[in-house]
Amino acid sequence: MGAGGKRGFHKLPLMTACGGAAQEKVYKFATDAAYSPMEFMDKDQIVGFSPEFLALVMQEAGLKYELVNTGWDPMLEFVKQGTEYDAGISSISITDERKETYDYTVPYFESVNMIMSKKGSGLTTAESLKDKKVAVQNGTTADIIMSEVMGKDNPNLRRFETNTLAFMEMENGGVDAVVADIAVIGEYLKQNPDKDYEGHIDPNFPTEFYGILLPKGSELKAKLDPAIKKVVASEAYKELYRKWIGEEPNVDNILKAQEQG
Amino acid sequence: MDFRFDIVAEYMPLILRGTLLTIGFSILGILLGSLLGLIICVGKMSRSKFFNLPASMYINFFRGTPLLVQIFIVHFGVVPAFYGKTQVFIAAVLALSLNSAAYTAEIFRAGIQSIDRGQREAAYSLGMTHRQAMRFVILPQAIKRMIPAFGNEFIVLIKDSSLLSVIAAPELMYWGKVMQTQYLRIWEPYLTAAIIYFILTYSLSKLLNYLERRV
Repeated sequence: MGAGGKRGFHKLPLMTACGGAAQEKVYKFATDAAYSPMEFMDKDQIVGFSPEFLALVMQEAGLKYELVNTGWDPMLEFVKQGTEYDAGISSISITDERKETYDYTVPYFESVNMIMSKKGSGLTTAESLKDKKVAVQNGTTADIIMSEVMGKDNPNLRRFETNTLAFMEMENGGVDAVVADIAVIGEYLKQNPDKDYEGHIDPNFPTEFYGILLPKGSELKAKLDPAIKKVVASEAYKELYRKWIGEEPNVDNILKAQEQG
Repeated sequence: MDFRFDIVAEYMPLILRGTLLTIGFSILGILLGSLLGLIICVGKMSRSKFFNLPASMYINFFRGTPLLVQIFIVHFGVVPAFYGKTQVFIAAVLALSLNSAAYTAEIFRAGIQSIDRGQREAAYSLGMTHRQAMRFVILPQAIKRMIPAFGNEFIVLIKDSSLLSVIAAPELMYWGKVMQTQYLRIWEPYLTAAIIYFILTYSLSKLLNYLERRV
């Protein structure tokens, strides 16, 4: 098998790794970079709120990391197994059902949802949408909220692969409203000023938070949680929020939720 | 591997409802597709360029572009153009029908043209008209030869109908994806869906085997 030569070859990188002063673990994070402006691809770069937030957190925690765009389904399986990847960051809402399979870090982002409907349609609250046709992106906080309001198996609640498709459905008259993250609706309205649509926030919408997804029993939680708390309370977080979401952040709810664990 | 049968059981009513829709979409798709395919097949076999060229272009387009893109074009373009707004059930059946028509047209043509010229000549020499030759000599043999390829197309169509979940048609895969995002688990929904697709396609292939023996 030519063992001698091969063995020698293999030893080399191993030795350098052991010889380095700081034998640091590089934590691997998976993401599905398809959710602008939170995480998305700009050509071949992962950009958005989440990657920049993660950079701040890992700097605070003093850990090395790598962020890879694995896509949604593979990310879930990678993180569940916890062997190849250590965590997932992809605007993942924290829910009890999901906690049965995963651990989460403390919340790092409050997902505020918005209803987009035709001007003057009066569709401004979740209640007013009850018997209407509504488009959401499958699995988002908007989906969770509207499933609660309209009923999970209600055929008038249409779950699309992406918000882009939900918007197209609205443009083509297939639904009366789109419910999505405030940043997503805001971006759409900004880019389509000619459309006769407006956004509304229903103050009765339940609050949902994003957390970093971890395998059950991950050692990373103890390292990330304090760093996340520090970053969320910092000025840098506010800057990041303004940059990507385009609004003034209110982190009170997140900090409160962090207290509760 | 931990497999949570409890969440599969929780979603079973929705998954079964989705399965019914998958069956409905597929049957309508293959029936309407075959009707349209028959017309396109006649066009394609015509010697006149006037009929032949559009049929060829149709087949090339629908066979040569991804069904995913065709679904988007039908849902957000064709249906709103005629119906005024999107209608997911019309779009779902239409997209599958238009796509399968291209394939069935070629299956019909291949079946008819696979019958030896001598058969037709023999029929003519017995004094049969073109129509009679087709009805009593060519088609009975051709149909038998078409069944395996036709069954193949039907099976592919059933599986491809899962793409309709992108336009939120609440079929089998749609509910699988909803289940996936609620629990963030991929094996329970996808393996469940795969088993149901397998049951559908396996039963169909058994049925087609039976038909092939009987025809």
